[in-house]
Amino acid sequence: MASFTPNYKSLRNTRRWNLRYVWLLAFCLYSQFISADITIRSVETTFKDKVYRLNANVEYQFSEAAIDALKNGVPIILLFDIEVEKQRRWWWNKNVASLEQGYLLLYHALTENYLVTNLNSSAQNNYRSLNATLEALGHITALPILDEQLLEPEAKYFIRVRMRLDIESLPAPMRPFAYLSSDWRLESDWYSWPLQR
Amino acid sequence: MAFAAIKKFFSGSTPIVLLLFLLLASLYFMSEATHNSELFSKIFSTMLVINGLAIFLLIGLIIRNLADLIRQYRQRTTGSRLTARLVILFVILSVTPVSVVYYFSLDFLQRGIDSWFDVRVDNALQDALELSQTSLGVRMRELLQDTKKLSLQFDGVENELAPIKLNDLRNLSGAMEMTLFTMHGRIIASSNPEAANLLPIGLDNTTQLQMRQGKDDVSLIPLQDSGLHIRIAIPVSGPDAVTEQRVLQALFAVPERINSLAENVQEAFGNYREVAFLRTPLKYSFILTLSMVLLLSMLTAIWAAFFYARRLVAPISDLVEGTRAIAAGNYEKRLPLPSKDELGFLVKSFNEMTHRIALATESATESQQQAEQQNAYLEVVLAHLSSGVLTLDSERTLHTSNATASQILGLPLSDFQGMPLDSIATDRPHLQLLVDALYPHLESEQKEWQDEVILFGPGGRQVLMCRGTQLPHTVTLQGGHVVVFDDITSVLQAQRNAAWGEVARRLAHEIKNPLTPIQLSAERLRHRYLKTMTGKDAEVLDRSTHTIVQQVETLKEMVKAFSDYARMPSLNMQGLVLNEIIQEVLDLYRNEGVGFQLVVDLDPTNPLIEADPGRLRQLLHNLIKNAQEAAEQSDPSRVNVITRCMQEETCRFVELRIEDNGPGFPDDVFSTLFEPYITTKPKGSGLGLAIVKKIVEEHGGVVWAENRATGGAVIIIRLPVLGHRKQKDPQTGLAKSS
Repeated sequence: MASFTPNYKSLRNTRRWNLRYVWLLAFCLYSQFISADITIRSVETTFKDKVYRLNANVEYQFSEAAIDALKNGVPIILLFDIEVEKQRRWWWNKNVASLEQGYLLLYHALTENYLVTNLNSSAQNNYRSLNATLEALGHITALPILDEQLLEPEAKYFIRVRMRLDIESLPAPMRPFAYLSSDWRLESDWYSWPLQR
Repeated sequence: MAFAAIKKFFSGSTPIVLLLFLLLASLYFMSEATHNSELFSKIFSTMLVINGLAIFLLIGLIIRNLADLIRQYRQRTTGSRLTARLVILFVILSVTPVSVVYYFSLDFLQRGIDSWFDVRVDNALQDALELSQTSLGVRMRELLQDTKKLSLQFDGVENELAPIKLNDLRNLSGAMEMTLFTMHGRIIASSNPEAANLLPIGLDNTTQLQMRQGKDDVSLIPLQDSGLHIRIAIPVSGPDAVTEQRVLQALFAVPERINSLAENVQEAFGNYREVAFLRTPLKYSFILTLSMVLLLSMLTAIWAAFFYARRLVAPISDLVEGTRAIAAGNYEKRLPLPSKDELGFLVKSFNEMTHRIALATESATESQQQAEQQNAYLEVVLAHLSSGVLTLDSERTLHTSNATASQILGLPLSDFQGMPLDSIATDRPHLQLLVDALYPHLESEQKEWQDEVILFGPGGRQVLMCRGTQLPHTVTLQGGHVVVFDDITSVLQAQRNAAWGEVARRLAHEIKNPLTPIQLSAERLRHRYLKTMTGKDAEVLDRSTHTIVQQVETLKEMVKAFSDYARMPSLNMQGLVLNEIIQEVLDLYRNEGVGFQLVVDLDPTNPLIEADPGRLRQLLHNLIKNAQEAAEQSDPSRVNVITRCMQEETCRFVELRIEDNGPGFPDDVFSTLFEPYITTKPKGSGLGLAIVKKIVEEHGGVVWAENRATGGAVIIIRLPVLGHRKQKDPQTGLAKSS
């Protein structure tokens, strides 16, 4: 008969243990998420010479896998997506302009330098450490994004930006795994704010 | 229409070829993509997704086909077994070699990719890089020393004078660019030989840090267009002790040859490192591509196995269906021609065969129908024969009989078909006489025979004239007999009636002549001698003469009746309404108005008949008188006279019923009731009903007597209605009168 009576105490204990594991797992996942991520800290626009310019502060936290790949000579492209949207009352917002700023990151083994090429202007910069590179990449200053003539005077506009690692530009053999791995899903959320005029 | 066209398109082999082509193309692209060529690299992911979708699609198709096949297999649909076997065979044939190839390819792939990477190559490249770095390092140190010496000249130089000094120093040292910075990286002065307005290379954070710590900094930097450069930064003291220290940065170009060599080393090393790093992903992606190729080709093969197995089996299952249809008797089945190969030939032959079978069956059916028609014709002929016909085989078993035979013998002979002749006597014992009479003839070897058989059955005396013939040997019933017999009872009756008529005529003639002289003589005797005699003599004479006269009178009446019966004056036929004649005759009895109740119920349609009115009156008088006399014995006496117009088969007639409520006929007189000199009455001549029958027959009618269920007798007469006489079937009359 005893064998048929459920042991509630042990059951509760088991549950508690199960819960602990769940928390542990959740924490692991969370830590993994925060360990590899791109965060947009701050963005602002300035208006000068009838052109809106953008200043942004981005924080990068590359995963081990990404750093490893970079150090082994795999070029990595970071894309900065900028979209200007016009707000509409009864409808979805209308995309007025979209801009994609690309940065190519490459390790130069001979000089032990990190080369950053702006894909839009082909300007190249050298950095002697990854930190310095990411620091430099994190400061986007006076990036012209919009001519005033494109804007309607009365309308309300929103700008949203995002920084992401372009998996499609990785070497083909890496792509299927990059798509499936969280190590490579380096992508900030959309950061959206109204355009101050 | 469009739907049908699409369906037709998809049921052909075109989609398979198309699909295969697409698959091959996508696989080609995908395998190209793994070689990292620029264009294919772009579409690699798309191809992966497309191929993945294709795999899912194929799996879906195969599952559907498999489910269909399993369902058909369970339902035992025609051809499903063969299809299943073919599919299994195809699948085994296609999957086995592909799997073997896959296994070995996988092995080769692993080893092949591993063999690209050699530890020695790896080391050599690493060494080459280090060598480059070392050789450049020597140069860097030399330059640092030189620059350091030169930089001493800068101590205490005013900022305003710095550009001139910089130019001098640059020219002296052979540097490409020389710049003076503040500690915070701001440019104080710069010297550049080519374009003075070009922005000098800035001071990076690491260098600034080094400077603050008072350390020299030398580094190698790759410049975008001009290759490798050596950058040297040295802290320089300010113009005076108070002002901040400054930084002198000099940029030296690496000699052209070394630059290109170092760049080659860098490129080779970089590429090799990348490829080495990508070794594992490359292996996986090759395996992935290979697996996809395998899966796609295997799934396509399996699907094609289903498709072609079905197509191959379709004509075979058609054939099976066709065979079943033929087995079930459907010879109209035609199969669609599948192709021009052996199967097509088989189907064509099958169609020809069914066509021929259909033709043969048709002619067989036709001849069977003809035989049946012949049979039916014979049966009709037999059925309408007035003679009974029986066929017996050599074992005396009854084979065929016609309706007349059953009617004459009074039992349904069809029930006895296939049974011995004896069996008909078990139910009707009186037929034993017939069986006994037939047997000796059947046993004998006589070809033809004739015999007369007299039966006494419930219908009275029956005289049958039988004729028999042995069947010829060509007919199926070998040694059998055909027996034809007629009921000649009525014929004999008619002959007897005729004979009686002759007798009556002769009697009347012979007797009537002497009666008058006898009567006259007796009257004369009485007249003359009665007056002369007295007493007893006179009384004797009176009584005797009276008796003679009276008896002669009676004889005369009798003779008159005989002569009436025998006399056959020609009929005076005319169309008349039967009801009128009846009313006319009945009026006489009404006027008489005594003794009996007369109930008249005449048909309101007043049917017209063709008759001799005088004869008809005589008939009615006879019958009503008879009925009246019969009814007298009961109280109240009653006579019903009824006419009805009736229709029976093709014959329209009027029926006259004269009913009484007397004692009815005794059972034994029915067979002889209408014969002369048969009477149930004490005073009858026995000719009344005989005369009635004669008149009725003269008018083409029938008469018979029945006893009523409620008591009393009924005489029923049927006479043809005018206009229907010609159609009257004389057989019916004959049969009825018997």
